[in-house]
Amino acid sequence: MAEPRAKPPSSTSPWAWLRILYAVLALTVFAFPGGMVDWLDERNASGWLTAPLAVARGIDAASAAVGVKGVGQQLRGWFAAAIGDGDT
Amino acid sequence: MLFPTIDFGLFFAFSFILVWGLNPYNTVKKYVLLGLSLAFYASWNWRFMLLLLASGAISYLVGLYVDAAAQRPFRRVALGVGVALDLGILAYFKYLDFFIAQALNLAHMLGFDLPLGFVNVTLPVAISFLTFHAISYVVDVYRGRLAASRSPLDVVLYVSFFPHLVAGPIVRAHVFLPQLATPPRAGDFSFGENMLLILGGLFKKMVIANYLAVRFVDPVFTDPSQFSRFDLIMAVYAYAVQIYADFSAYTDIAIGVAALLGYHFPQNFNQPYRALGIGDFWRRWHMTLSSWLRDYLYIPLGGNRHGALATARNLMITMLLGGLWHGANWTFLIWGAMHGCALVLDHAWRRSAAFARWGEGPVARVVDWALTFNFVCLTWLFFRAPSLEAVGQFLGGVWTDNGAASTMPAVVLPLIACGALTQIAPSRARAAIGVVLDNRGAFASAAVGFVLLYAIVVMAPSAAAPFIYFQF
Repeated sequence: MAEPRAKPPSSTSPWAWLRILYAVLALTVFAFPGGMVDWLDERNASGWLTAPLAVARGIDAASAAVGVKGVGQQLRGWFAAAIGDGDT
Repeated sequence: MLFPTIDFGLFFAFSFILVWGLNPYNTVKKYVLLGLSLAFYASWNWRFMLLLLASGAISYLVGLYVDAAAQRPFRRVALGVGVALDLGILAYFKYLDFFIAQALNLAHMLGFDLPLGFVNVTLPVAISFLTFHAISYVVDVYRGRLAASRSPLDVVLYVSFFPHLVAGPIVRAHVFLPQLATPPRAGDFSFGENMLLILGGLFKKMVIANYLAVRFVDPVFTDPSQFSRFDLIMAVYAYAVQIYADFSAYTDIAIGVAALLGYHFPQNFNQPYRALGIGDFWRRWHMTLSSWLRDYLYIPLGGNRHGALATARNLMITMLLGGLWHGANWTFLIWGAMHGCALVLDHAWRRSAAFARWGEGPVARVVDWALTFNFVCLTWLFFRAPSLEAVGQFLGGVWTDNGAASTMPAVVLPLIACGALTQIAPSRARAAIGVVLDNRGAFASAAVGFVLLYAIVVMAPSAAAPFIYFQF
């Protein structure tokens, strides 16, 4: 009778989960940086989020420079037009 | 701080590190989880944190007193006081104005004035689910199903744990409290399956439910007189898909988030629109509420133990109170009454000789499904409409077509088709794919997670509707 296969470390270690989770969130922020910039901007009335806002703007600029931001915007615009949703 | 927001994404990312980082120190971790839950609740209204703590404290003290292991006098009285306090808090915040309005209307009809005024209090978020958890704990201790916890921290954390706090699922004390005793092991959970559960929930909420609500259902229910008969009928079916996508999304995300923190929650939906009969529907829809009502209301009332008439009465009382739980409005009471009547008929039909003879054939099953689904959709009309007048206006529009051309957006039918897919997809598919992802390693999980989240963000509308069950 074959031994049951041990689960790989990526499925049993919370720190492997953490890397996956943060990678997914970081990639999504890089792909759609505008959401994070707006979110921080709205909460920065007293100026305490100036540093993270500067970082988010840096990510926004980098994403735009390599064309990732533009692709996301284009795809959203294309999808909105395809389903007749003008305000997306 | 609702689930599909940047606020919650950051909150969860932060919580994840804290919770697993403190996993070897179980007591410290539970204090941190309680702090996170209170912070989550305070994001709506910090004043109501006291309510949360008070509810937990009442449960803890009553639980200690009525513990089945101790033969104390007045156990039943203590249980009654505990349940009455929980229900009293709920009644004050949620129902007092409704009952005052009914009393004033009745007094006016009888020709005298009552010296009553409305209390006009803000309804605390999650108060209904909080009450369910608190009652579940003290009654289970009374029944001897679990020993009273000696740890006030565990009891307060049980009622306030943030993944289930706002809209369930309702997690029984005997399921949750033992999980607090020892630190969880990540190996007991599938990361891939729970990531897919969360992403599936985000898709159902952000794409299916939001588009249906914003583009079609909300405008139709706001002013039914502007829409054709076809649109009105389609809006009811669209709402059936919307409420399923919306509510099951919330509980899917809650179950997934809890699992990624190391805690098991029970399943809350099982493809309810496949149901054959109303009884079957309630075994598949909001399963944790159905079983809660069965165990803490229907069975204590006598269940089906005292003949057909008593069973019918118990079903009606259970469903009327289930309807009223959703909100202090006659529309919810009628919704509950319709389901109660249907359950009585369903109960009788499935025990009849006619059902034994004809009820199991393929044609009968198709008829059974069609009747059940369309009946449930009809009841959603009462659930969604803001008032009985609005229901009348809506049904009037269906009865006397105004001749207007249909303005239903083209996106509605594909969204309804997506909703139908969720009902027929193999229920074990997600678990199987999750296992494949787990075995493929971190890179595969991250790549799939990112691609799916990217697709959801591309498709999500800029306008969003709040979670429907958030208000309950």
